[in-house]
Amino acid sequence: MTNIRSALQALREAGAEFVVIGAVAAVARGSSQSTQDLDICYERSPKSLQGLASALQPYHPRLRDAPDESKFVLDARTLAGGMNFTLTTDLGDLDLMGEVAGVGQYAEVSAGASVVDLFGQKCAVASLDVLIRSKRAAGRPKDLLMLPELEALRELERTRKAKK
Amino acid sequence: MMYTMKPRARDRLLRLLENPPKGSRIAAAKEFGVDLTLNVRKLGLTPTERMEEMQSFQSFLEALRQAIQEQAR
Repeated sequence: MTNIRSALQALREAGAEFVVIGAVAAVARGSSQSTQDLDICYERSPKSLQGLASALQPYHPRLRDAPDESKFVLDARTLAGGMNFTLTTDLGDLDLMGEVAGVGQYAEVSAGASVVDLFGQKCAVASLDVLIRSKRAAGRPKDLLMLPELEALRELERTRKAKK
Repeated sequence: MMYTMKPRARDRLLRLLENPPKGSRIAAAKEFGVDLTLNVRKLGLTPTERMEEMQSFQSFLEALRQAIQEQAR
């Protein structure tokens, strides 16, 4: 299980620009789902890549899907040369997405995001619209299963805002 | 935990769940089997409290898993 509090704190303190996506974002928005990992969509400016790398290096990031872990070094250059990384770290599993299927890169994913307090850190959390589009595009059974709940949550959120 | 949604707002959402408009996503989710009363309760918590609740439940599951494994040994 990922230590979400510590992961968010490390990323924020290092100056990485990112939006929380995936099931953690869904839970932050009121979903009753559960998840083991933290997914973020990161901005790909040199400053943000450097922040991301320096935030994660102390936690020994390794690729989850690579047979030979020893060759992998997470630095700004590695991040610039790739796009999406599924990592395991001393803080738990962390997926770094430069691009989210069905949505786009950081600029598109962060559109409509809300900045909320998560464990004392001000974090951008993807909108329900973005989460729904990404789950629909991912298209795996586990993603599609989340759609009815997320779409209903969006209606509940709209009702709540409209009646305030 | 601090429940931040006002009772009137919560009741309004619960009434909506009882009688969702035909063709709405809420009606579709209910038909699909989603228990949206859980979501209404969670909407009354802060985002951090929602995360803490999830992590606390996962810790419980992990402890349960370990206990079952130890018993099986």
